[in-house]
Amino acid sequence: MVSSLKAGEKGKIVDISHVSHLVQRRLLDLGITEGSEVCVKCVMPFGGPIMIESCGQCIGIRRKEAVQMEVVKV
Amino acid sequence: MEIALIGNPNTGKTSLFNNLTGSYEYVGNWSGVTVEKKVGVFKRTNGYLIDLPGVYTLNPLSKDEGVVTSFFLHEPVDRLLNILDASQLERNLHLTLQLLEFEKPVLIGLNMMDVANKRGIQLNVSQLAEILGVPVVPVVARNGKGCDKLEEVIATQPIQPKKKNLVHYGKEVEAAITALSKEIEGKTEHSHRFLAIQYFEGNEYVRNYLHQIADSVTLRAIVTNLESELQRRYDCKSLTNFIHLKRKETIEKIAAEVAVKTNAVTPLSEKIDRIVTNKFLGIPIFLLLMYLMFMLTFDWVGTPLSDALDAFFTGPLSDWVEKLLTAIHASGFIHALITEGLIAGVGGVLVFVPQIFILFFFISLLEDSGYMARVALVMDRIMESVGLNGKAFIPMIIGFGCNVPGIMAARTIETPKERLLTILLTPLMSCSARLPIYALFVGAFFAGHRALIVLSLYVLGIVVALILAKIFSSTILKSETSLFVIELPPYRLPQFQSLWRSTWDKGKGFIRKAGTFIFAGSVFIWLLSYVGPGGLNVDMDHSFLAAIGGVLAPILAPIGFGTWQAAASLITGFLAKEAIISTMNIIYFVPNDANLQGLLADYYTPLAAYSFMVFILLYIPCLATTATIYKETGSKKWTVFSIGYALVIAYVLSLLIYQGGKLFGLV
Ligand SMILES: Nc1nc2c(ncn2[C@@H]2O[C@H](COP(=O)(O)OP(=O)(O)OP(=O)(O)O)[C@@H](O)[C@H]2O)c(=O)[nH]1
Ligand SMILES: [Mg+2]
Repeated sequence: MVSSLKAGEKGKIVDISHVSHLVQRRLLDLGITEGSEVCVKCVMPFGGPIMIESCGQCIGIRRKEAVQMEVVKV
Repeated sequence: MEIALIGNPNTGKTSLFNNLTGSYEYVGNWSGVTVEKKVGVFKRTNGYLIDLPGVYTLNPLSKDEGVVTSFFLHEPVDRLLNILDASQLERNLHLTLQLLEFEKPVLIGLNMMDVANKRGIQLNVSQLAEILGVPVVPVVARNGKGCDKLEEVIATQPIQPKKKNLVHYGKEVEAAITALSKEIEGKTEHSHRFLAIQYFEGNEYVRNYLHQIADSVTLRAIVTNLESELQRRYDCKSLTNFIHLKRKETIEKIAAEVAVKTNAVTPLSEKIDRIVTNKFLGIPIFLLLMYLMFMLTFDWVGTPLSDALDAFFTGPLSDWVEKLLTAIHASGFIHALITEGLIAGVGGVLVFVPQIFILFFFISLLEDSGYMARVALVMDRIMESVGLNGKAFIPMIIGFGCNVPGIMAARTIETPKERLLTILLTPLMSCSARLPIYALFVGAFFAGHRALIVLSLYVLGIVVALILAKIFSSTILKSETSLFVIELPPYRLPQFQSLWRSTWDKGKGFIRKAGTFIFAGSVFIWLLSYVGPGGLNVDMDHSFLAAIGGVLAPILAPIGFGTWQAAASLITGFLAKEAIISTMNIIYFVPNDANLQGLLADYYTPLAAYSFMVFILLYIPCLATTATIYKETGSKKWTVFSIGYALVIAYVLSLLIYQGGKLFGLV
């Protein structure tokens, strides 16, 4: 899970098929799919969104979507 | 000659548009600033340049993206000017590849060269042009570098791109493209390859278009076959993904050839982000910034300036006009019209120009720095709990300037329910036209705590909007899907010049409105106060205006201001919120050193004054806002609803505040 990474840690996405369809589309638009490397930048409190970085750009996604993204630490 | 600007969001299309056409359209450092098509005329060459919303692909998710796709399919255009962010080349090229498939002449503007260089990215421009088969011009839209060259290239005859299919989608997809092309042969002037690929990607606009011109059953069969074949051979998850990956392969090859990355320093952006989107500091920092903004607007800078202007209007200016009118022997009627109607009405609004400009300056600063998207991120948790998403906060902040662009900005919200909810609630954001009323009343009643009282009103607007969002989203606007993915652009140090221009652009509207709408309104209101059933120049209490206001006054009595004066100004407030101020200036006019603030104490208690401000904050969207709500929702029902709920909530809250306050012994 992306959300299991701590701020500053990097991971490689291996599976995002469980994320809702619309969110998958948007992430794809932003160039984030299986195989992309992401780095967690910061985590908002109270179950708020997560800020991740991929290929030099920062993106905010919700925790519940981040939970469904499988990653392996790199 | 018509040229359309197209590119990813936030790549500087509008900046370039402004540069090439000399116009001033909305620029801001977040994705989704431009939400509708804008047309401009080239400064030097002749022809039209069309600015469009930013899109990642031609397969739209939200309304603003839909604008682009439907423009593409239904409006003829001679040439496309594709703007790429040089510092994000890979992502930007996805769109470029789709545009090249469209087979219209394309020209590429490689923008943000300065940012790319700073990040240590060196691009081989001529090689990129060579590979893509179209002209590529490096530019920096922000300061106009390279724009001359770009214009030169635009002025030359468009060359048809050398037809070579840059992306090979694999033999299965290519076969399906051929099959589909056969079905639509001779039925459309658009590129068959383009239509086929978009159709495979599930582009809704293209699907509707193709189903109109060809047999939908056959077309669907082609897609289903293709999907099952790819599934079997490559175990791919979806056709969209497959196509995306094929493009990505091509792009990686291109990038490897044209881009050289040297080691770069950590961008300042990340350091700032560690603070403003900090776990615990995020929301406090936002509130602190708001508080600073109000202190500057209402206490430190704005109020002294406005007071000086006011002194000038009521003092020297009135005297000069008075002398002039006497010198030319103007009739008593004209005399009264100008001093009691126009100077009081229009002048009464214009004195707030300094405060409004300071507020606009701050909003422009928020927009241009890149903080806007961070606010959306910080606020998402709260917004989610009331059935909205963080992106809805952007229209609301823009709404602090003016509700109309705020409502338009809701177009970038992907899910229709959340978008509608945002449109309905944005009018609760206290726009700049409401600011003069607060300035006037806090000056009269709460001089010691100006900024705090005004901040309380702005926050009240937000809180009411959030509570109503919760109520609406769990009753009439239930929705299961919610989508929140937001791009956080790097911070950009705003340039003073562009800040000033965007401040001026917003403030201009206010001044223009004072010169036209408020001007005419003041004349009209003054006439209503001048004539009555008894004839001309009646005592104001027996004028038509008093009669009209008197009808509503009893209803307003329980909330603290049951005077015909208050009622009459509230009615005019529907036309434009500033009209409330000009009406009050006309009604409470006293010649010589007229001090409306001093006079108000005779008509309102502090508690009634607060109740009055709350009522004005919430009671009704103005005419322009109502028209925009209608345009954006396309529904009379929701438009009426937006007015109705606002009236109810305003009355209920004012009642609670006034009666509750009295219970606690406040006056
Ligand atoms: N450093 C730098 N900043 C730029 C350049 N061009 C534009 N910007 C900034 O980038 C931001 C986005 O510019 P816009 O012109 O609004 O971008 P857009 O493509 O119209 O954005 P959307 O309408 O949201 O699609 C603004 O803050 C500009 O000041 C550039 O060449 N260099
Ligand atoms: Mg734009």
